[in-house]
Amino acid sequence: MTPRLRQLALTAHVTSSVGWLGAVASSLVLAVAGITSQDPQTVRAVYLTMELIGWYVLIPFSLASFLTGLVQSLGTTWGLFQHYWVLAKLLINLFAAVVLLLYMQTLGFLASVAAETTPSGDLRGLRDPSPVLHGGAALLLLLVATALAVYKPRGITRYGRRKQHERRTVLAP
Amino acid sequence: MTHETPKTDGTPRWVKVFVIAALVLVGLVVILLVTGTGNHGPGRHTSGGGGHPALLKYGLQ
Repeated sequence: MTPRLRQLALTAHVTSSVGWLGAVASSLVLAVAGITSQDPQTVRAVYLTMELIGWYVLIPFSLASFLTGLVQSLGTTWGLFQHYWVLAKLLINLFAAVVLLLYMQTLGFLASVAAETTPSGDLRGLRDPSPVLHGGAALLLLLVATALAVYKPRGITRYGRRKQHERRTVLAP
Repeated sequence: MTHETPKTDGTPRWVKVFVIAALVLVGLVVILLVTGTGNHGPGRHTSGGGGHPALLKYGLQ
């Protein structure tokens, strides 16, 4: 990649990853409000909003983060499987995105219950702690991924060592 | 004064900690899913044994 293209790819990756982190933090706040608020209107609005954020912010950002991460690693000397921190970030991103996609089923269900609950109706069906649990876990995972990206801890995989050896052999035959 | 060359062979300690933490996390999730504790997870709407209060309320289970 040319330096300009590399900067563009890095900007896209940082934007999507940090955007995902921010959206998860917002969803976590909403999820906490969903189980603590005494106002039925607020509780219903929480689950309807969380589904929208899920489909239109969390999923697009998670996929963008994954794809731009692939471009970043494969388009630079870091590689995808050569450094442990890149591999760890890839696994975190993949795991979080898959769990999010599966969890949209639950968010959709909660949103449909919220839509059918009358403003003064019974909120017991909506007092679900699982969005808080999932949001908290996702936030923790994404913070770890961000820390890995910033600190880039040392450690080369066996495959990375082999590639390094091959490069050295090519440079100094 | 000796100049220490960074060790490049072997698996770094942080990777071992990361793998152990990941295994603990996955084990915890599997236990929660198997025992049904916590009443969460993607399988609760597809399996018959979830018993989610909202599903019961709407007669869906």
